[in-house]
Amino acid sequence: MLRLAEQCLERAKSFIGKNTDPPRHKASSPTKTGHRRVLSDGGGELSPFLPPEVFQRLQTVEAQNTSKKELTPIEQASRLNQKLKANYEARLARLTPGQACQKTSLTLSLQRQMMENLIIAKARQEALQRKMEERRLRLQEEANRRFAASGGMTAEEQEQRTLYASVLEYEQDHDWPKLWKANMKENPDMALVPRLVSYLLSQSDHPVVKLLRKHQFRIYNRLYPIVSKGLPQSPALLLRPSHSTHNLLHSGKVRTWHLEGEEPHPLVTVDRENSFEDLEQFLTQLDWASAHDNQLLSLCLLSFECLNTASSKDLCLSSIEEAFFTPLWHALLALFRYCSLIPCPSLQGSYPYESAVQELKLLVTDYCPQKKLECLVRTLRLICACAEDCRCLHEVDATPRTSAIGADDLLPILSFVALQCQCPQLISECAALEEFIHEGYLIGEEGYCLTSMQSALAYVESAGCFLTGGLAV
Amino acid sequence: MAAGGMGGKTYSFKVVLLGEGCVGKTSLVLRYCENKFNDKHITTLQASFLTKKLNITGKRVNLAIWDTAGQERFHALGPIYYRDSNGAILVYDVTDEDSFQKVKNWVKELRKMLGNEICLCIVGNKIDLDKDRHVSVEEAESYAESVGAKHYHTSAKLNKGIEELFLDLCKRMMETAQAEERLKGNGASQSASSRRGVQIVDDELQATPAGGCCSSG
Repeated sequence: MLRLAEQCLERAKSFIGKNTDPPRHKASSPTKTGHRRVLSDGGGELSPFLPPEVFQRLQTVEAQNTSKKELTPIEQASRLNQKLKANYEARLARLTPGQACQKTSLTLSLQRQMMENLIIAKARQEALQRKMEERRLRLQEEANRRFAASGGMTAEEQEQRTLYASVLEYEQDHDWPKLWKANMKENPDMALVPRLVSYLLSQSDHPVVKLLRKHQFRIYNRLYPIVSKGLPQSPALLLRPSHSTHNLLHSGKVRTWHLEGEEPHPLVTVDRENSFEDLEQFLTQLDWASAHDNQLLSLCLLSFECLNTASSKDLCLSSIEEAFFTPLWHALLALFRYCSLIPCPSLQGSYPYESAVQELKLLVTDYCPQKKLECLVRTLRLICACAEDCRCLHEVDATPRTSAIGADDLLPILSFVALQCQCPQLISECAALEEFIHEGYLIGEEGYCLTSMQSALAYVESAGCFLTGGLAV
Repeated sequence: MAAGGMGGKTYSFKVVLLGEGCVGKTSLVLRYCENKFNDKHITTLQASFLTKKLNITGKRVNLAIWDTAGQERFHALGPIYYRDSNGAILVYDVTDEDSFQKVKNWVKELRKMLGNEICLCIVGNKIDLDKDRHVSVEEAESYAESVGAKHYHTSAKLNKGIEELFLDLCKRMMETAQAEERLKGNGASQSASSRRGVQIVDDELQATPAGGCCSSG
């Protein structure tokens, strides 16, 4: 009798062990492995870029922190069983050695209760899954109906349907989309649009955000092998990461590059050629960066129809763009910096067009193409304003019609401003911007400013103004 | 898009202004944008980048005029200035034979890079200085015809011929855009491939006989 009871207890213990282990493991493993990864990479390969797995994890960490996930029936049951077991152990401890019989009955009843709990939980889980599946199919159907008018199905449309179905599913589980929609309907205020989008982007389990993370990860995954292996080989490359995680990894790296820079590296040229190939290859596929933006935007618009007006669309897109590019910009820029990097000589004191130079220096502090473009436009406008002021000072009889600044004057001044800016990464920044600028902007003032800046930089570069500054830096 | 003639019938055209340093490009475009309307049409980039809204036979046209630097040293990145342009205005000074040679170089490059999609205008400026003329009218006009461009004579100083030049150019760009739309409607369904100035060769071959304005001279 006693032995039987002991056997039962053993089994019960192993049962509990099996059921409680996985969740505990799940909860602790991501952070643990994450740390280990960072450390091992930091010591070994010496790359300023986080490996893709870590990148992805960093992106999703907030997700785990913010979302309080509901427990599944099985998880609930195993929690309950843990409590039961604790009770049982407490009682057992209070029993005197002579009460063996009571001990056995306690053990058996514990086992029975635990088994029951698990069976019930399993049944509930299955029912729940069936229900979810049914709901999924129903929503998929709803999504299909919505897109029915479009006729033939491409792979993209198919994908969009699936995504839309997941949005519908999400909206069944969460109330806030409905509240926001009602709110937007009541007071159609443009100021609400960015707030809605930023709220949407903070909901890490929303399909839009998941899609965003997926795309980011895919791009980063492609970028990482190129930027991580190529960077240490070019001594002139100096990144200035502001991200705290980058800084941690960075302190050791700068030194190594300097060391390598001191001795002529025979592989540099070869590697450069390779990196050009990589870059080219990558750029041919870069169209998806904008394609992704479009996909994200259309999913956003599907989720919130109230956003589907021209002006809200723009606002929406710029918010998405910011979220999309901010974590990626360092890596993207590194790719573009392969091809071009030149340090500038320095000058001191106050000089003409200083305000434009100060403005241009801000360009590298943004991580979103649109903001960078706005910065460029402001720079060029400041140049024109400075020139205007200057002219008014010197000419008493100034008639604005005949002497406004044209490209003949603008480009030389812009070259001067670019040089004064002392920002070696401008060339790469502009090359990257050119890739990611929206087509609509290309024809407008933004496109003109970017083109002019590139032209000025090309001139400054070709004139060899930087060479005296030395490539040894 | 290069020819932004979308459903709403607002055309967006990009026009580049090319020409040597002192031929008067800037004065030309300033005259055009300031004369008829008020100063509002001048953006804060002054004469470098100008926009103008027009209404031609009931259709709205947004014109973005890109000035380029005449100095040779800024020419390395010429192609990024004129990519996706719908029209180009090539200005020379009638008193300066050299500036006319420069125009010829530009024409060659534009045709090579952009094909027949772009409407070319060759403009002899400063006709107020006709007594010092060094480029003959016949030579200029026959050259323009030979390369499928139209020739105009202007004087920014006297405000002559400028309005006509831009109006004519807009009409030609609209014709080109409309021909392109028709082609798209008839043929290859939605495979709109005019993105970033990349043209499918077949389209181009069909475009010329279908009424490409530039070839009609």
